[in-house]
Amino acid sequence: MTDRKTILVVDDASLVRLYYRSILEPGGFEVKEALNGLEALEAVLSTPVDMLIVDVNMPHMDGLTFVRSLRQRQLPLASLPVLITSTEREQADFDAARMAGANFYLVKPIAPETLVEFVTMFCGMAR
Amino acid sequence: MTDFPELTEEEFRKLCEFLYRRTGMVFTEAKRYYVERRVVERMTLTGSHSFAEYFSRLRADVKAEVEQFINAFTVNETYFYREDHQLRCLTSDLMTERIRHKKRGDLIRIWSAPCSTGEEPYSIAMWLLENWPLVDEYEIEIVGSDIDTDVLEFASKGVFGKRALMRLSPDLIDKYFSMLSQDSWQILGDLRDSVRFSTVNIAEPGDTRTHGRFDIIFCRNVLIYFDDASRRIAAENLYENLLPGGFICLGHTESMSRISSLFEVRRFADAIVYQRPKGVV
Repeated sequence: MTDRKTILVVDDASLVRLYYRSILEPGGFEVKEALNGLEALEAVLSTPVDMLIVDVNMPHMDGLTFVRSLRQRQLPLASLPVLITSTEREQADFDAARMAGANFYLVKPIAPETLVEFVTMFCGMAR
Repeated sequence: MTDFPELTEEEFRKLCEFLYRRTGMVFTEAKRYYVERRVVERMTLTGSHSFAEYFSRLRADVKAEVEQFINAFTVNETYFYREDHQLRCLTSDLMTERIRHKKRGDLIRIWSAPCSTGEEPYSIAMWLLENWPLVDEYEIEIVGSDIDTDVLEFASKGVFGKRALMRLSPDLIDKYFSMLSQDSWQILGDLRDSVRFSTVNIAEPGDTRTHGRFDIIFCRNVLIYFDDASRRIAAENLYENLLPGGFICLGHTESMSRISSLFEVRRFADAIVYQRPKGVV
């Protein structure tokens, strides 16, 4: 792969960030990290990324607030694909994520092959 | 401990020969201080009045003294994935039992005490990442504590030599460490962030109480160095630091049953661990 896609993983748990990184890097993706929504905003403003994996419950700025804020930015930032990850699995949680502007919602725990499959798809790559 | 005269050349030679035959470890005159310190410690703990008395006790293996003696030489030689049968037990049984009482996303607290230079708590984090598929479904808190502030400083820097990494595959080293020089590696920042380090004296109730209650405690190869009274106090402290149904893992030569009747013995396929009874709050 000549053009490596860059994924921003936004999660306050360092083990979770490392877990996703350990799945995505061997899959050929470049991984950047942010610990909460505020850090994620700074990250997308300073470095180009191809898509985001965003946890919901985080301190300082939660995942859904971050996605709402992202969607109000200029293009192309506003259109970045966002995959929400959470342990919550109620319909109300899915709806809230969709309303905030998420492209898809995966319930944790996420199997390595599922993560790679969705990330590949959102990066617009052939499967 | 300094009341004992230093070993004569002949005594030192006999001891080193004994160690070599039993463990394959070679100690020369250059390591005299290291050896003497441990021998004097064992003499004190066994109430031996002279080296001759201690050495005959050792040779007769009174109260499994050989094992204790060998442990005294290896206890500081901690390394990644040490006693990995307990790590296997962690992911095959202990975590599964603990989450039965929890909701998705709940906190799971794991305590490594004493944690020495950090190999054990970092091993727990790495092992979970590699072997527990629910690692992103629960909030995992790993705390490493030790009485020695020097080792804690070392632990939080996360820089290790070849020996500490000897049980890890090259793949794991590549994945979780960055090479600083020919024989030093630093563990990844995310792994360093996944462990919180703190000072604790496990024989001091005021000290342990501030750490709160845990789901699983690793307390390996330390109780053997306490006298009966402190050992009982430490066991009671650790009991208080466990959530009802929580588990404690000791070193392979240690047995909680000989120390305290507070715990239930649980025999899993990979390890024997001790459990705080579920009903007792």
